[in-house]
Amino acid sequence: MTFFIWSIVKPVIEILVLAIVFYRILVFFQGTRAFQVLKGMTYLLIAFLVSQLFGLDTLNWLLTKVFAISILAFVIIFQQELRQGLARLGRGSMFSPTLEESEVIALVDEITDAFFKLSEKMTGGLIGIEREAKLKTYIESGIQLDSLISSELIQTIFKHDSPMHDGGLILRGQRIVAASCLFPLSENQNLSKIIGTRHRAALGLTEQTDAVTVMVSEETGEISVACDGKFIPVTGRERLQEILKDLLIVQPKSDEEKTK
Amino acid sequence: MKHFFLHNLSLKIVSLGLAVITWIYVNGEILKHR
Repeated sequence: MTFFIWSIVKPVIEILVLAIVFYRILVFFQGTRAFQVLKGMTYLLIAFLVSQLFGLDTLNWLLTKVFAISILAFVIIFQQELRQGLARLGRGSMFSPTLEESEVIALVDEITDAFFKLSEKMTGGLIGIEREAKLKTYIESGIQLDSLISSELIQTIFKHDSPMHDGGLILRGQRIVAASCLFPLSENQNLSKIIGTRHRAALGLTEQTDAVTVMVSEETGEISVACDGKFIPVTGRERLQEILKDLLIVQPKSDEEKTK
Repeated sequence: MKHFFLHNLSLKIVSLGLAVITWIYVNGEILKHR
């Protein structure tokens, strides 16, 4: 009986572990140039396995050669990304990319303070906060920094005469990792024609990744938060803090709290 | 909890599919060599 149960449980455990490994690899490469290549290689792998399964010898021979070459090409082309990934794996942060609740609260306080001050001065600003999907492609488009977040630093960067005021800031954890980054513009056809480029960029990043964006309009001083391709209205300082905490504190925790 | 499962759902489905395919293939190879 025990043997029978184990023969069922064993493949389930093996498949789950494999699925977690594949998922982590895909999440790691999501939002990077390597992701498209990885997608192509996945199709090749599936075609290779199907050709093996049905005994399609010619196709199998060709795919074996192509697959072997593409693995080598992938390693050469993306050696930098692979090196960074392995380094991160060594630090253990690849499996725990989230912040502690107290760190999120400190982060949210700095962002809220900075954005309300920018709003008072009618200065535009845009921040993308990285969550699970990596924003490497967008970080590479800007000026790379590595600084602990502070309200003063955000305000300085977005000052009109600052060379880095154009584009968006990217936050990873409690650090500002890049400024002047180019975010993808939203392709939503239903957006009003009067909406500016900053709004479109704020929305565009959240359409393509799971990032959260916060922006302040230069024209109206209005602050908005975007997530999953939608704007969330911000009515005041406390509301902004509440929205950001809900979005950034690890989800299973907040779900448990909601059910209490 | 619901968000935990639904977040990045397409990637999770692809990963599970790949895991199943890999498991079947590797087990087939192991059986062949026994």
